[in-house]
Amino acid sequence: MGYVAAKGGFEAIRAAEDLVRRRRAQADSAEVELDQIIDHFPALVDRVMGEGGLWDQRTAARAIRQAGGDVIEAAHIIRAHRATLARIGGCRPVHADEIDVLRRIVPAFREPPGPQLLGVTPDYTGRLLDSEDDRLAPPAVHDDQPQTATGQPAPSPAIRVGSRLLDVLRTMGELVDRRSTADPEPEDITRIPARPGAPRSALLSTMARAETGALVQLWYRNILGPDRNLHEVTLGEVRHGRLPVEMRHPHTGLPVRIGEVRVTEVEALEDLDGADEDRTKFDAGYGLVPGHNERKAIAMANLDIAVSRDNGASPLEQSVLMTTDGLDASGFLEHLKLPHYVTFRSMMERKQAMRRAAAAREARGDDESAGIPEVVA
Amino acid sequence: MSVVAALRAATMPADRRERAVLDEAAKREVRRAVLTAVAVPGYQVPFGSREMPVARGWGSGGLQITLGIVGPDDVVKVYDQGEDGGVNAANLRRLIRDSEGVETTTDPRAATVIQTRHRVPEDELTEGQTLVLQVPVPEPLRGVERDMTELRRMHAEMDYARMWVSLYEDIVRNGVITRTTGYPCLVDGRYVIATTPIPRWDVPPLHDAKHLSLFGAGREKRIYAIPPHTDVEPLTFDDVPFEVEHAEQPCEACGSVADDGRAASYLVELPRADGTSRWVCSDTDWCTRQQVVNGRLAADAVEPLEEL
Repeated sequence: MGYVAAKGGFEAIRAAEDLVRRRRAQADSAEVELDQIIDHFPALVDRVMGEGGLWDQRTAARAIRQAGGDVIEAAHIIRAHRATLARIGGCRPVHADEIDVLRRIVPAFREPPGPQLLGVTPDYTGRLLDSEDDRLAPPAVHDDQPQTATGQPAPSPAIRVGSRLLDVLRTMGELVDRRSTADPEPEDITRIPARPGAPRSALLSTMARAETGALVQLWYRNILGPDRNLHEVTLGEVRHGRLPVEMRHPHTGLPVRIGEVRVTEVEALEDLDGADEDRTKFDAGYGLVPGHNERKAIAMANLDIAVSRDNGASPLEQSVLMTTDGLDASGFLEHLKLPHYVTFRSMMERKQAMRRAAAAREARGDDESAGIPEVVA
Repeated sequence: MSVVAALRAATMPADRRERAVLDEAAKREVRRAVLTAVAVPGYQVPFGSREMPVARGWGSGGLQITLGIVGPDDVVKVYDQGEDGGVNAANLRRLIRDSEGVETTTDPRAATVIQTRHRVPEDELTEGQTLVLQVPVPEPLRGVERDMTELRRMHAEMDYARMWVSLYEDIVRNGVITRTTGYPCLVDGRYVIATTPIPRWDVPPLHDAKHLSLFGAGREKRIYAIPPHTDVEPLTFDDVPFEVEHAEQPCEACGSVADDGRAASYLVELPRADGTSRWVCSDTDWCTRQQVVNGRLAADAVEPLEEL
């Protein structure tokens, strides 16, 4: 046979890239515009911004279009894009009380202090496929609601809520006080890899950009499944709203508002029941994720309190820190598609060595339990 | 000029290449981690691993090291399973070339930096050459301990007892040590490392080598190193010799044999449907050169690898 230096690599890549272009060009329908993705798939855009760790709707829409709708692929494109950008500074730390809420519910009380806003949610709609009439029906216009100049319903203004449930519960004496000033500077997990024992800010950051399904699944294992680090959680604040982003001006030193982000914020109240816990009180977990992604923020808040309660007794903290990143998990899983014939050959060689050793043992009539057998090369 | 364009212009060096994949601050972080790794051979140095255009688990760590250490005069070889022409190696090579503007080669003798997935070149490397290995799992003790806090303690206190027990149990149970690739080795008499999934065949060339070996685990976010002329001892017992993957027949393509009559390089098996096999060198560039040396291929018949 001739020499084996395979030249197929570049040709194969070229062909694969061409196929992608051809599929797009040969599609019957028009290509999707970025505005369409942003306007009509907001949950998808928010999820990709959250898992990619970069707040920019147009970039997320580009990544979604490029990835053909694959969420983890899109998040990967976002993160790799981040790696090409220089970091120019940090914003002023923002207190979550500065959220202008678009949606706020508080399951723990019928009427919490402050307004509840159902907001935009599919929770109470019927999950049946829309008929064409349903889909095309224009929104109702009510006289007592804000309208635009052309008589369309205007978006509801965001509201600053005066209080949060955790503060109310603290005042009522219902909450264990775990507030700490021990780690004032949040640990940047993109610079210092998070490991068990890392400060809580690293745990929260990890969950904020974790894969949504990974957090949901880990939560499920804990509330009903084999892990059981959660007892009985009730939600406090569940909010979706806008937070300002401000930086210090390099010349004047004054804060300058450079934009805003939307976040989903959740408080999770755990009914303490552990032998070493203060069972006369509740404890709280906290979740905050970019964009509107309630299942992720709820899972995050639950896992925050679960990790705190677990206190290193189980592998939960390590599971959250090390196994919930979508890119890490999927990338490593799919790397199995790479050629592994060098390693496989080595495995086969050892299997043959084991079989030779077993055969030699048998030929000698050795008793397997009689200590270390003679090693056969 | 848009705000984004203005910020970019203000923060990127003027000579930055358009397809640059890693910013200069990140490269500096990688180099600092590499320096720490070289200063403490075998120690797994945590670093702020960035996401790369290749997926996690596909060489993002090796890639960051290569991007961090090359300059415009470097010549880079990238290969996978010993093969330069495979898709993954070709993709990485293209990325590196476009990002850094370096020349590429398939000949390890001409390369200054060799990025490899799971092989060490059959050619002996020399001073000034750097081997960058892609590492899927950097933790050698993973099989005997899962808790990361305990793993840190074991390395910190040089407590490798559980690893030794597991090797002993391996022999008792199986008659031989059954570790396949990524054989655990003691580096500089201090840290046990995972030699990545390189075959046992490739472990001896790491010992007291003239070249520098750098190990990049992007997903796990660690870098470790074997400086030149460092002891690398595979963990085994005094009466249990370290065994490599010998092939009884030589490569079908080049026919190279070692002094003991067995194949002179690491061979891989190409099975046929009838259950028989062909055996050929894993290292395709070395094999091609041996074919010329052994008169099986005319020197002018060798076609260079096509670049994208």
